[in-house]
Amino acid sequence: MRKRMWTLIGVLALIAAACAGSGTSTTAPPGDTTPSTQATSTTAAPPGTEATEPPAAPVTIRYFTFSAAPDHLDDLDAMIAAFEAENPDVTVEVETAPFDEYFSKLRTQIAGGDAPDAFELNYESFVDFASKGTLADLSSMMASDESLDPSVYYQRALEAFNLDGTQYGLPESYSTVLLFYNKDLFDQAGLEYPTEDWTWADEKAAAKTLAGLGDDVWGFFAGIHFWEFYKTAAQNGCSFFTDGQVTIDQPACVEALQYMLDYVDEGIQPTAAEMGGVSDGDMFVNGQLGMITTGIWMFSAFESAPFPWDVQVEPGNTEKATHFFANGVAVSADSDRQEAAYRWLRFFTSSPEAAKIRVDASWELPTLTDESLYDSYLAIEPPANREVVLKSLEYAIVPPVIERQAEMQDAVNALLERAVAGELTAQEALEQAKTEIEALLK
Amino acid sequence: MHALGWGLLTVAAATMVFPFAWSVSTSLQTKEALLRIPPQLIPESPSLDSYRELAQVMPLGRIVLNSAIVTLFITVLQVVTSAMAGYGLARFRFRGRHGLFLVYLGTLMVPFQVTIVPLFILMRWFGWINTLQALILPGIASAFGVFLFRQFFLQMPAELEEAAALDGAGPWRTFWSVAFPYARPATATHGILAFMASWNAFLWPLFVARNENAMTLPVGLASLHGRYETDWNLVMAGSVIAVIPVIVAFAVVQRHMSPELLVGGPR
Repeated sequence: MRKRMWTLIGVLALIAAACAGSGTSTTAPPGDTTPSTQATSTTAAPPGTEATEPPAAPVTIRYFTFSAAPDHLDDLDAMIAAFEAENPDVTVEVETAPFDEYFSKLRTQIAGGDAPDAFELNYESFVDFASKGTLADLSSMMASDESLDPSVYYQRALEAFNLDGTQYGLPESYSTVLLFYNKDLFDQAGLEYPTEDWTWADEKAAAKTLAGLGDDVWGFFAGIHFWEFYKTAAQNGCSFFTDGQVTIDQPACVEALQYMLDYVDEGIQPTAAEMGGVSDGDMFVNGQLGMITTGIWMFSAFESAPFPWDVQVEPGNTEKATHFFANGVAVSADSDRQEAAYRWLRFFTSSPEAAKIRVDASWELPTLTDESLYDSYLAIEPPANREVVLKSLEYAIVPPVIERQAEMQDAVNALLERAVAGELTAQEALEQAKTEIEALLK
Repeated sequence: MHALGWGLLTVAAATMVFPFAWSVSTSLQTKEALLRIPPQLIPESPSLDSYRELAQVMPLGRIVLNSAIVTLFITVLQVVTSAMAGYGLARFRFRGRHGLFLVYLGTLMVPFQVTIVPLFILMRWFGWINTLQALILPGIASAFGVFLFRQFFLQMPAELEEAAALDGAGPWRTFWSVAFPYARPATATHGILAFMASWNAFLWPLFVARNENAMTLPVGLASLHGRYETDWNLVMAGSVIAVIPVIVAFAVVQRHMSPELLVGGPR
């Protein structure tokens, strides 16, 4: 028995040696073999060495992303290959995590002193990270970068990643939300297709007619949550904050929420129970929804729909407002390879090569002013009316952001859920939201 | 009465098996077939395409190997350290053994979220981020395992040890030849728990792994979830691969967990 035990321990030790060995041999880039020991040794060495002889010393930078996995890893690799061809002294290593866990991992890495050199942030989390001093100031690097013309970026996109006059990030991509419609159902109901000057009233009238087409057909779907709500409120001229005051309970906001709730109450939009666990996107593909308000990221998923469909800019009420979901990229304040990391991010966000790869792959859209970059994107069908994606930028609004963003979203979402369930009226839900948001601002 | 019992058991078994059957069925269908209404439990044209695609989108072999290595080490080491510590606490009289045991139990109360950043810093200090060692080392000791084995060894008849002592066995020999074999049901129970916990572990491996060097199966599967949509056939194919070792482990170990072995004694 004892002998066998020792044999077993011996075998385990051999496997350990083997896996440690293969671990180092499979990694191609020279800097990668023992990443963290290398990191500690470079921190031990004076950081000035890199600055004095930039072309000579090859560096490996770590880039952490959520938007590339699982569908766009090949596209990211292609961009990196193009970057490394131009910058032979820099090797980019990619790390990914699913969006739901991305920020826990990033925070642990930053707290643990193992922050990636460059990483992706969505607009909502950007404010939090920038105000906590975890991001490097890019202003001086951008100012001394002769090959950069800041006007290649959409001005509003660049400003979104500027906090109190300091540029902490570069705009990487944006995404927006449109009104999608099922042409077959519109034809069956004898309705005209949506136009750009549609208003809420037109949308609702059409949705009512569409809902009458059958028992398992509904006219319209839009999620009733934080994201849809601040935009719908903006379409009614209401915003969560006005001059530093919380104004989420203003009549225009209440009216907007009531408008959203009415769709469900009047049976035009399916309830969660009626959906039975099927996602809204899947219901649209199944031909059960006449219209759906959802993101342009659903284009590829809707390609499999067995009916013709198209898109239109969302209707507004007193004004038009559309989503501007922006992702940006930033350099870690702790990184000792900030210059190389900045060079990669500049290439990644603004070079025509990277933009072309991104556009061709429909991996969101770059925030660049050169319209010719979008040609290949606009040529793809469906939807035929794809140019409304760019048109939506004219009405783009950024989400309301506070430092305790996640808590605000959770609070608003919980209250909206109770309003959908009929436990609170629109007025009550938003009055309570105001109280809770004010508590978060203290 | 008999028929009723069978009936109830059949319903219970069907309820348990149904989710698994559905994941197997989902993994054998194409993405398009999944959206059909009503959903099909038995696929019209089953195919292994999901499994092939899964192997293309991630280095599946490497990831499964990582999971297997980590799980094997953690399970074996955790059982050995728990059995030894439990034996020591149960059968040796030394000053402070009760206090020591309470400290062990106390660690069960500390949530993992509290220790995760210090542990991460420690692993970084060792230079072990993105290595399998960083996944294995924090898992080799288990306070619950110590507790389980201690309770088991407390019930062990003293005659067994006395007989070993008469044959001239020292404490080391007594542990390996008498006590540890006696604790087979505890070994089986804790072994399967440790196996499942480390095979399914997600948060810590997610934080430690940077790439496929240290990526385990649950982390790999999570990476299939897109921000906006998910290919469920791929996720289910991965889940089926992930659940097979657990079923096999149960089938193998179940025999040793049978209740009559829990009341062994001098024979």
